[in-house]
Amino acid sequence: MSGDSPRQWLERIRGLPLPEHVRIMNVCGGHERSITMAGLRSALPENIELIPGPGCPVCICPEEDVFEAIQLALNEDIILVAFGDMLRVPVNAPRKDARSLEQARAMGADVRPIASPLEAARIARQNPGKPVVFFAAGFETTTAPVAALLVEGVPDNLFVLLSGRLTWPAVAMLLDSDTPGFDALVAPGHVSTVMGPEEWEFVVHKHSIPAAVAGFTAESLLAAMYSTLRQLLEDHRFLDNCYPELVQPGGNRRARQQLHQAMDVTDANWRGVGIIPDSGFALNTAYTRHDARREFPSYADDARKRAGEMPPGCDCAKVVLGKIYPNECRLFGIACRPRHPVGPCMVSDEGACRIWWSGGMREPVTKPKRMMA
Amino acid sequence: MCLGIPMQIRSIDGYTANCEAKGVRRDVSLFMMQDAGLQVDDYVVVHVGYAIQKITPQEARTAWELYDQMLEGGTGA
Ligand code: SF4
Repeated sequence: MSGDSPRQWLERIRGLPLPEHVRIMNVCGGHERSITMAGLRSALPENIELIPGPGCPVCICPEEDVFEAIQLALNEDIILVAFGDMLRVPVNAPRKDARSLEQARAMGADVRPIASPLEAARIARQNPGKPVVFFAAGFETTTAPVAALLVEGVPDNLFVLLSGRLTWPAVAMLLDSDTPGFDALVAPGHVSTVMGPEEWEFVVHKHSIPAAVAGFTAESLLAAMYSTLRQLLEDHRFLDNCYPELVQPGGNRRARQQLHQAMDVTDANWRGVGIIPDSGFALNTAYTRHDARREFPSYADDARKRAGEMPPGCDCAKVVLGKIYPNECRLFGIACRPRHPVGPCMVSDEGACRIWWSGGMREPVTKPKRMMA
Repeated sequence: MCLGIPMQIRSIDGYTANCEAKGVRRDVSLFMMQDAGLQVDDYVVVHVGYAIQKITPQEARTAWELYDQMLEGGTGA
């Protein structure tokens, strides 16, 4: 059935004796983008609700980490490199101060966007006399290459300001709460490619929530949705893999081994959400000499660590957790647009606010307020 | 950031492969794929400059079609 067209999958889904209301969550910005661009929400029967969940690493990168990167860039004689998305993420600083890495650059800091960890190493090699700080925010798919870079060996003047996160603990946190807010899960494709689909088995086994790993085509996403609906209807749960061309048992073992070699898993703060147990990566002892937090300790400011630190009026944390849709935020499309983003969900290509706005889903809330049970 | 791009390997030098997608060439690290026995002409999915998995030519084509659709979707303002 894997070669079937989106139309065939849609017919198959329409043919199911669906319950009155089913909420399917995805946890990947790439999934949300495909769903929005392909118009799957309007193509599916009304009783199926597709909820974008925690799928944007830029959106949950703690405010104190972004602030630390800005202060480092402004006050030390360094080159700060970061993935392009991170440059526009706003912090809650007074208007006269730099509120993003982009503004720090405009004030004279040497801040450079990169598209790959390899560029961080290259820039360090080209500037042997200067510390290069690589502000590395991302989920497993991005953090694994950072680990690979370290394991392969980097110049002495490269320091990593790591803000890596694991996706599954955020889903675990939702499922452990009284209001998970979804009945089925589409599990992320490339996270599973690297880490192995097994990471998501707890959803099915511990919480009895149907789950299927999906790729990024409409076919693969619809196949995964169909699978979770069948699982619900037949009361038979299993973790399905609708992206077998990439997702293999155990994932990419070498990549996982490199992650393990360079990093430990720790409790970590998610912006606006708070600490999620075992959800972050930290450089392990063998790599502390490349830890920017150790090289420049005075910039870590514990006082900034507080929950609820999204910019004022921004509901990004609720959007990230699937509690509200982007268009339920009062600022969506009014004060907050891709060109003038208020919150990180409008900055990042993986943020649901930006994806909805770019995909033409610009109306204020049209659906009746959904049930939050 | 999690969107992987399929590319075809044109040459390999140690852990670095020169890869091509739609006429664009890039150096890609094979460090995470060193056990895969990758060869010239193979297709890989590349994420932030690193090959994360091998794919078939057919799968590469499908993924490229999707990527084109997304680029057409644009980022808007
Ligand atoms: S629309 Fe803007 S202000 Fe509202 S939640 Fe999204 S990013 Fe935050």
